[in-house]
Amino acid sequence: MRVLTGVGSTPLSGVGAARWYRPEADLTLPDRPDPSAVDAEAELARFGDARDAAREAIRDARDWAAERVGGEEAAVFEAHEQFLDDPELVEDIEATIGDGTPAEHAVSDRFAAAVEQFEALEGPMAERADDLRDVRDRLLRVLLSADAGAVADRPDAIGDLPAGTVLLAERLTPSDTAELDPDAVAGIATVAGGRTAHAAIIARSLSIPAVVGVGERLREIADGTELLVDGADGRVVVDPDAATREGADTDAPPAVTERVSTADGRPIEVAANVGSEAEIAPAADRGADGIGLFRTEFLFYDREAPPTEEEQHEAVTAALSAFPDDRVVVRTLDIGGDKRVPYLDLPEETNPFLGRRGIRLSLDEHRDLFETQLRALLRAAATEGGEGLAVMFPLVSRIEEVEAAVSAVESVAADLDGEGVEHAVPELGAMVETPAAAFLADRLVDRLDFLSIGTNDLAQYVMAADRENDGVAAYHDPLHPAVLRAIDRTASATEGTDAAGTDAWVGMCGEMAGDPELTELLVGLGLDELSMSAVTAPAVKERVREIDSAEASALADEALACETRAEVRDVLGLDGE
Amino acid sequence: MERTVTVVPEAGLHARPASKLVQAANRFDADVSIGRADDGDEGLVRADSMLSVSGLNVAHGESVRVVAEGPDAADALDAVCDLLTSEVDGDANGEDDAESAADGGDPT
Repeated sequence: MRVLTGVGSTPLSGVGAARWYRPEADLTLPDRPDPSAVDAEAELARFGDARDAAREAIRDARDWAAERVGGEEAAVFEAHEQFLDDPELVEDIEATIGDGTPAEHAVSDRFAAAVEQFEALEGPMAERADDLRDVRDRLLRVLLSADAGAVADRPDAIGDLPAGTVLLAERLTPSDTAELDPDAVAGIATVAGGRTAHAAIIARSLSIPAVVGVGERLREIADGTELLVDGADGRVVVDPDAATREGADTDAPPAVTERVSTADGRPIEVAANVGSEAEIAPAADRGADGIGLFRTEFLFYDREAPPTEEEQHEAVTAALSAFPDDRVVVRTLDIGGDKRVPYLDLPEETNPFLGRRGIRLSLDEHRDLFETQLRALLRAAATEGGEGLAVMFPLVSRIEEVEAAVSAVESVAADLDGEGVEHAVPELGAMVETPAAAFLADRLVDRLDFLSIGTNDLAQYVMAADRENDGVAAYHDPLHPAVLRAIDRTASATEGTDAAGTDAWVGMCGEMAGDPELTELLVGLGLDELSMSAVTAPAVKERVREIDSAEASALADEALACETRAEVRDVLGLDGE
Repeated sequence: MERTVTVVPEAGLHARPASKLVQAANRFDADVSIGRADDGDEGLVRADSMLSVSGLNVAHGESVRVVAEGPDAADALDAVCDLLTSEVDGDANGEDDAESAADGGDPT
């Protein structure tokens, strides 16, 4: 029995047989035919079709990455598209095909030369070789599978693994991970990658146990080796003995369907973050008390034009009917800068995270989209279960924005009135992601029904540390005292305002909310609602029940008195790192 | 027409800067080529190819020569040289950023 350590990503355990995922291995070329037997015209057409299919797959991957994690990941795919359309590569390949070479051989030969050229270079260019391989593999997958009459942009195998598989990979792409069957895959372990990488977040939303960033030692594991993936403790156990296997809780914790309160009776709402229609039913299955963050961006991706009011209305009512007695917090469109939607023609920005994002676009150049979305939402609020609807504005940083958004809601309501269309005004709230919003939280709650803290962006903006930049990963942690103070300021915004008739609530919908080790701190800071990947909801609910709110409050005070992240971790009883 | 400039982006002609340069070169009808200033005509490669541009492996501070020919050559030359002589803000790739930060080479 050997133990490899990595970073626990999905806090579940699973046992199964190792199976390496090497997407490139399936791409064996057929024998090279005699040039005279090659129909060059037909091969050129196949090459063109393969490029079209690969381009579509790359754009899907880019949109997916932009939706899930933002611009840096998405930028990689833009470079992939540039390689795909590279005139030098394309012209060379077409010339080779013209000389009587089948498309797949021409692609393989030319890319091999390019990869070799890049690998010979020093420094960061080695990465480019990986990008070239990725583009080549996409082309070859289409070219090779087209022979069998099918078109695929990744090996079919990954969606069709035998039950009890522990998937091992260098790293997984989001599209790979999204294909996985959670019933068949007992766990995932990767050589590289971090907990907040897109693939890790998707694995969590699929409830697949995962340990990422295990490092080079993972490569020594052969296919078929029995492995325990322990995502709670961040370890991979090779050939686990019976005691270890039994000690590991390999079943997902049972769903806790009822609402929970602390041991002394303070109710805490434990809701789910949802980013696609497919995630709604699993969220209900895991016993989430509604949806605390319904991202609407998925409705806008993979299409040529924005979704209609009717389409948006349907998507929202579907979420409401899955949670008839619960709250569903719908975030209005949060695109811009890093999250690209081709048909919206967003400006190129040098610093998109500080640019035209979220509510800034909705109140200005994309006010039309905003109003359409509000119409769909106000109508949904009047449907059955619609009283649970809440609407949240992203990236708020000024009071004027809140006032403008609220008056946009009022004017849409007046329009619907005039048209005789049934509607209701839902709860309105703001996402607290900017330091500005945290500073103004007490004024925001005067005008709104709720606030929800987005810790991923809040940490990024408070610490001035790009969440996608590994070089500043140490800064990107909500347990830094400065971030804790911003959270505290927001959570305290409703204190003392009750006399004025405010009963606003404050929740949290960042990754931090789903960590059971931090639940006591968050309860102590005064949050009313925690929204997370549904997979962690049962564990957080169990944790809430054990908490005494007076003790939690004392713990929060102690954490807030700390001057360093290390001290905070110490107070919370967490390991040094 | 042509111009010789010193490469400003910390990341050199890799990652985002290369990507932006190729995008810019593709926007014009003019044929734009680029190479190390010391390498003469033989060192020139086409600027509309990601493969060629990033294959040059040009680093920050190197001197490069840009040649443009065609109807909008002047504009193309301006656009490409602008990119070569301005830092790409904030969105250089992670590792490049980490390196420059470690060197204390913060471009701001």
